[in-house]
Amino acid sequence: MESLRFTGSGSEYFKIWIVNVLLTIITLGLYYPWAKVRNRRYFYANSTLDSRNFEYHATGKQLFVGFLITMVFFIAYNLIAQVSPQGSIILLLVLFIAIPWLIWRSLMFNMRVTSFSNVYFSFEGQLGKAYINYLLYPFILLLLMYGLPAAAFFMGMDDIATAQAMGEGAVVETSAMLTTFLPIAMFVAFIVAFYFYAVIKKKNTEYVINGSRYGQGIFKTNVESKKFLMINLKTMGLSFLVMLILGVVVGILGGSDTIMMFSNPESMKHGRIPEGFALAMGIAYLIMIFAMILIMSYTMTRQRTYTYENTFLDDKISFASTLRARDFSWVMLSNLFLILVTLGLAFPWAKVRMAKLMLENTLVDTEHGFDVYLSEKQEAQSSLGEQIGDAFDVDVGVAF
Amino acid sequence: MIKGHWHQEGSASRIDALFSINDLGRYALELKNGTVYRGELSHLEVTERLGNVARKLTLENGSVFVTLDNDAIDTIFKNQQKINGFVHYLETHLSSIAVALVITLFTAFSFFKWGIPWTSQKIAHALPYETNQLISSGTMDFLDKYMFEESNLSEEKKNQIIQHFKVKLSPLSREDDSQIEYKLHFRSWSMGDQAIPNALALPSGDIILTDKFVELSSNQDEIDSVLLHEMGHVVHRHGLEMLIEGTFVTITVMMISGDGSGLGDMGIGLGSALVSSSYSRGHESEADLYAFKKMLLADIDPVSFSNIMNRMTTYMKEEENNRTRETNITKKSNGNVLDYFSSHPSTQERVELANRYSECFKEGLRVCK
Repeated sequence: MESLRFTGSGSEYFKIWIVNVLLTIITLGLYYPWAKVRNRRYFYANSTLDSRNFEYHATGKQLFVGFLITMVFFIAYNLIAQVSPQGSIILLLVLFIAIPWLIWRSLMFNMRVTSFSNVYFSFEGQLGKAYINYLLYPFILLLLMYGLPAAAFFMGMDDIATAQAMGEGAVVETSAMLTTFLPIAMFVAFIVAFYFYAVIKKKNTEYVINGSRYGQGIFKTNVESKKFLMINLKTMGLSFLVMLILGVVVGILGGSDTIMMFSNPESMKHGRIPEGFALAMGIAYLIMIFAMILIMSYTMTRQRTYTYENTFLDDKISFASTLRARDFSWVMLSNLFLILVTLGLAFPWAKVRMAKLMLENTLVDTEHGFDVYLSEKQEAQSSLGEQIGDAFDVDVGVAF
Repeated sequence: MIKGHWHQEGSASRIDALFSINDLGRYALELKNGTVYRGELSHLEVTERLGNVARKLTLENGSVFVTLDNDAIDTIFKNQQKINGFVHYLETHLSSIAVALVITLFTAFSFFKWGIPWTSQKIAHALPYETNQLISSGTMDFLDKYMFEESNLSEEKKNQIIQHFKVKLSPLSREDDSQIEYKLHFRSWSMGDQAIPNALALPSGDIILTDKFVELSSNQDEIDSVLLHEMGHVVHRHGLEMLIEGTFVTITVMMISGDGSGLGDMGIGLGSALVSSSYSRGHESEADLYAFKKMLLADIDPVSFSNIMNRMTTYMKEEENNRTRETNITKKSNGNVLDYFSSHPSTQERVELANRYSECFKEGLRVCK
């Protein structure tokens, strides 16, 4: 096992970054796709394994079409959202339906323009499966979460209506049934949805990794939803703990004000938020950001470790992640702080720090070597439709 | 001699190789296994220089030579790749970095300070008048539903204000934009048990006066001065400008932070709020100026405006004090920080401008310099 390395430096990247910003400003934003290419090229080419480097091959011209379309869509959405809420909902719906296609397209594009040691990656996942993974499953999740309790509620209401026709006593009885049944329905729905969420994570991970190719080499992952479920359960446990701590903090700092707020919510309506309470809320907010980063780091690193150790290239080259939650959250938090105090100028250093951390904690088995790999012949891309799809670049949330 | 690796086309396997040139513009690539490739330098494809990342030369047969010796490659291919040369030149020269930094900061500042408001104003005025109607449709219903209650003023008082507006103020706006149709509304607005004195204008020309405002005003001139201020907002299309400015800010911010992590968003959100409130301070000053100019024409002393503004501020402060006394909490003064977020210019500035116009009024001038 050998870890990847990052050979770039913050000061070198700063120069590239500031020139990118300058040219983007001078060209009123039109240089942006070219700037993006230079950024990517820098980070890919400086990522090395076994003294071989990655390469990013997309050109600014390729990204430009998608950039224009994204901008037009974004401006249109912003303006329409102000003018007519219905219009913006329709646009969002269109976007929602287009998302699986966009994800599929950008996976194909991004893999196709990436090479390692002179051999290109590619993606062969199917569009249909993208729709199942990124539209159908999330939709089922929503149904599970809200559908069952809603059904229980409306059925109960229906019963009450019938009971009303029958008389006073029946109504009381049925509403009692409703009040006991509804929480149970909600609880069951929550458990089922929680489990299904882990299933989705498994399916998405498999879709992306199993569809990836390195030359003729095939990536394969074998993950189980049970493991993701355990990670999610622990995440939930941690979140409860944080909420408990926050509650105590607000209680102590806010003191009597807080108790007053909760015992007499009416007082809030009159626009009187006591100062003690405001202070407590402010501190609680800071702790919450801090805790959120910690919890997110925990979940992310655990999932990464689990996924990597179950991923193989051609059943023989194995992977591992040694990224720890505390290191990840430390770099994340200190980066945030650096960027804030320097008004953004520390951004290049922050990005390099993060890249170093991620790469140095990614291990690959280099014993078998990569010499047998050859780039697959890629079919030429020509039609405009494909070009447009090519250029969109959506993050899928499976870091690899 | 440049050291590097050679790859066959599309292959990951590599062989150590040495690259050299002769005086006739030809190259020789000697592989460790004894094979030698020769050819014209001009037939080679070279990747653009970027920092110190590995450089790739593609031979005619599709095979590639990869090396980290960027400087040597640059010396050989000095005459090629002019465009990239420029970007790389910028990236490697300290003076140009410094210039880029200064230009970036300066442009960013001027863009936010003057560029966005100026462009938004131009766009807002270039759009057809109906756009104003479009963006205010539904707003009145929303306000009525969630904020306002019916006015408790007498019909007589309302009619008197409306009649006066029609006779005295409406004609003043004729020369601005004949398409605007003003309409006055009276509503009662309170937060908790406190009635709020305020006047608001929608881009469509609907002007809303709250009961408390009418109550606090001591004469017709004061009401007129505030109405003129609101008309200023409508004439200058501030509603539309705000909308366009908001879009600009969001897009710019998105492009700057495009490749960043989501965490930067928090800082950016704060920045956007600061920028937006600075724009609306500009709008308030513009509306003030409009009101003062019209007041000179309508023979109203601009001091009325500062009178009613002062009275409203005093009223709000007193209410605030009463409340804090009730709950026995000493109020800390954190007003200075909050001023940055305030959407209105400082009262002092506004009063000074009002006084200047009042001087002109007393001298009987119609235009104030």
